[in-house]
Amino acid sequence: MAKNEYLPFRSTILKVIRHSEKEYTFRMAYDKANEFPVKPGQFFEISIPKYGEAPISVSGITPHSLDFTIRRVGSLTDEIFENYEGGSFFMRGPYGNGFDVTMFKDKDIVLVAGGSGLSPVHGVIDYFADHMEECRSLTVIAGFKSIEDVLFRADIARWKEDGICIIDTVDAAPEGYTGRTGMVTKYISELQFKNMANVMAVVVGPPSMIKWSIKGLKDIGMDEEDIWLSESRKMCCGLGKCGHCRIGDVYVCQDGPVFKYTKLRTLID
Amino acid sequence: MGYQLRTESLRKVFDAWSKEYNIYAPKIFEGTGRFSETDVIRYGIVSSPEEIVWDQRSEYSFKEIIVPICQTLFYFTETQIKEADFPPKKAIIFLRSCDLHAVKRLDYMFRDNGPIDYYYEKLRENVKFVLIGCEKSFEDCFCVSMGTNKSNAYDAAVNVKNEAYFFDCKDEYLQKALQESAVSKISVAVEYVTRNSVMVHIPEELDSRVAASTIWDEYDKRCITCGRCTIVCPTCTCWSMQDLFYTENGKAGERRRVQASCMIDGYTDVAGGGCFRQKSGQRMRFKVLHKVLDFKKRAGFQMCVGCGRCDAICPEYISFSHCVNKLGDAMREVKENGKK
Amino acid sequence: MDMNCGNLKKNAFRMTKKRGITASRVRIPGGHMNAAILGQIQHIAETYGSGEVHVTLRQGFEILGIPFEKIEEVNKALQPIIEELHINQGIVNTGYSSSGTRNVMACIGNRVCPFANYDTTAFAQRIEKEIFPNDLHFKIALTGCPNDCGKVRMHDFGIIGMTEPQFDPNRCISCGACVKKCEQLSVKALRMEKFRPVRNTDRCIGCGVCVHTCPNRAWTRSKIRYFRLTLLGRSGKKNPRMGIDFIKWVDADSIVKIITNTYAYAAQYIDPQAPGGKEHIGYIVDRTGTAEFLKWAMKDVHLSDKAEVYSPLYWNGIRYSGLK
Repeated sequence: MAKNEYLPFRSTILKVIRHSEKEYTFRMAYDKANEFPVKPGQFFEISIPKYGEAPISVSGITPHSLDFTIRRVGSLTDEIFENYEGGSFFMRGPYGNGFDVTMFKDKDIVLVAGGSGLSPVHGVIDYFADHMEECRSLTVIAGFKSIEDVLFRADIARWKEDGICIIDTVDAAPEGYTGRTGMVTKYISELQFKNMANVMAVVVGPPSMIKWSIKGLKDIGMDEEDIWLSESRKMCCGLGKCGHCRIGDVYVCQDGPVFKYTKLRTLID
Repeated sequence: MGYQLRTESLRKVFDAWSKEYNIYAPKIFEGTGRFSETDVIRYGIVSSPEEIVWDQRSEYSFKEIIVPICQTLFYFTETQIKEADFPPKKAIIFLRSCDLHAVKRLDYMFRDNGPIDYYYEKLRENVKFVLIGCEKSFEDCFCVSMGTNKSNAYDAAVNVKNEAYFFDCKDEYLQKALQESAVSKISVAVEYVTRNSVMVHIPEELDSRVAASTIWDEYDKRCITCGRCTIVCPTCTCWSMQDLFYTENGKAGERRRVQASCMIDGYTDVAGGGCFRQKSGQRMRFKVLHKVLDFKKRAGFQMCVGCGRCDAICPEYISFSHCVNKLGDAMREVKENGKK
Repeated sequence: MDMNCGNLKKNAFRMTKKRGITASRVRIPGGHMNAAILGQIQHIAETYGSGEVHVTLRQGFEILGIPFEKIEEVNKALQPIIEELHINQGIVNTGYSSSGTRNVMACIGNRVCPFANYDTTAFAQRIEKEIFPNDLHFKIALTGCPNDCGKVRMHDFGIIGMTEPQFDPNRCISCGACVKKCEQLSVKALRMEKFRPVRNTDRCIGCGVCVHTCPNRAWTRSKIRYFRLTLLGRSGKKNPRMGIDFIKWVDADSIVKIITNTYAYAAQYIDPQAPGGKEHIGYIVDRTGTAEFLKWAMKDVHLSDKAEVYSPLYWNGIRYSGLK
């Protein structure tokens, strides 16, 4: 008999990290790493009380826990998001292909992320922070709408200490702000590599950001074959059944969410 | 082996089958139509052959039986999950050739695309199919064009003529009761149509570039995105997950899945407010190309079975087959524009 | 030239501006007929009249330019029409037996219109059979749904078709179309709660828009047909006014009973001095008081539990200045 893939398991909330008024990271206990290993870029369907199931990218992976960064939406109250340590969520997964870190081996890696788009590549950054010898270089361009929207502040600081090139920027900031401002595309145009053929880029974020970032990467001489994207769609099931995430002949939850740009480009929403 | 039965004897067969199975067939639901004092023909449980509508197409398809409109998956509390029960009885479904071909499409989605769907499998494995022979084509049918006008994938098949029923039966269980009640044993060839007044041509060279054609624009105004075409379609399978909370804290309730439609608002909404395909024409294009292009790319065979239900139900008289027949011109248009 | 004008009018002929010339008023109950009647009317108009026909406001035809001496022939020529339309008649070949009660009007109804909640034609014909021939001045109109294309609130009795929406949650796909349409076209009686529409039964006017909109037959019509009965609207010189709500969710039998009861009431209380024996019922009720009217109208009427009778009944309308 077929396995019931829809039954979730219960996972304890080990820690809640508040990034902003709307965004929180939940560190969830996960002890199935041997049986069901999790890759960055994969997602779980998480049951959020009063809301229902939502596909959430894994934003951090340790041997016994997984991080999920959840944006508070609609009518959900603070209570759910703030007073939850020690509680639990039902979840199921992992789903999707995720990033295979070996594809970045010896590459100059450029990760361009907008807002919560940092979640799917978070694990990639973590991996290379620990294994810098496996790639040639790692540059992260992370854009946020405003200072209040900045995610993973502590991680960004840590990555900077680890010597990773993190270019964090906010679209607009009040006067007197000393950090970077402007769109991610502004910083893409400043990138310089000796050998463009060795660069591999990943872009994750809202549709318009993706569009302009790809243009920016091509403008600095990147081969579009080396650009990867992580798509975000309404994935109700994660199992290729519900249909919501289909684009053309592709099911994002089954065949993605990580795609080559040249593949995704042929698909029309 | 074939059997001839009369209404009276077939009623006995139904009685015998009904002990273990629910018999589902197109029947009249009186007064439930969209307009007052009109009926709807759709699938329901029947207990006798007279209840079955043999001479008209059902407005809604058989799919509701194995892909329920609304299906509870499980019940949850803060700490526990209890799987929902399945219907105690197995199912015999009377359906036509196009629909029997549709079963193959449903099977592809729920068995082959990704892991096997547990809830589908639980219902599907308990179904026997009785093919209803088609003496004539109905308005809007285009099964011949889609190659779905005949099928051998049945457990039993029946031709109906003046209250006489001619069965061909492959299935041992079904055969038992038929044999006992048959008036005579004869050889039966299932009827099928060899031509429809509607013919559809899917261009060989069709590809996704056709999305850029202007043929979709007229549907922006014509289509009201009600979703009827997809709801009645025997091959549309989309659904949404719904959590129903019994308690204030949202920690106890049930999870169910409910039919969804790419034509209806909200289908692509992502958390945070994103939405794809807002225009009706874009949704029409997405649906039509799934039926005659995208599904085939993935599954290896066409999705649409030419049952014509989408045409028949559309309150705005939008014809799917008419649209498909415009795809040749549409391809030429995009190729021309590509050259410029 | 001698003519009994009272008898002329009673026989559904009109006094016209031109001496010796009349017009034949052909009532079409519910406004519905076989096209053959049009040919017969054409024949009468061309044979006995001026060849002109006026389409009346109450769904009839007025065959114009008929000389008095042709009345008898016209009445004979009308006989097939009267029979075809099942008009109650006193003596055969004498035309219409009365004209006081006006033609029962109806919108096109559910034989054609997708929104109508019942067969307005059939109900109009049923009422026709119950109340004709009658000289009392009654105006009755039927409309298929609360859209009220029939403008029935301008009549003594306005009959508005309703349905009680039935919801099958197992067929609902949470598309929200019913909620949206109820808000756009009707009274916003639906709201979405836990993925399902919830109907505010107090607010619902039974228009059936949700049923018409539902793509999956989750909303269907009630087996029982219901109506909203409106009361005592009128045009006229004294105090034109809209008919007010009388009973919501009333059944067809009760409506027929209330109407026939009202005839008895009007016969009892009509002003004997009324010009031409014609007095709008509304003015009679103004005189006797609503309580007395209700006593008569509701005699032996057995409403179902569902029916909601409005109380108190209060009319307003136009009051011309200087008129007491």
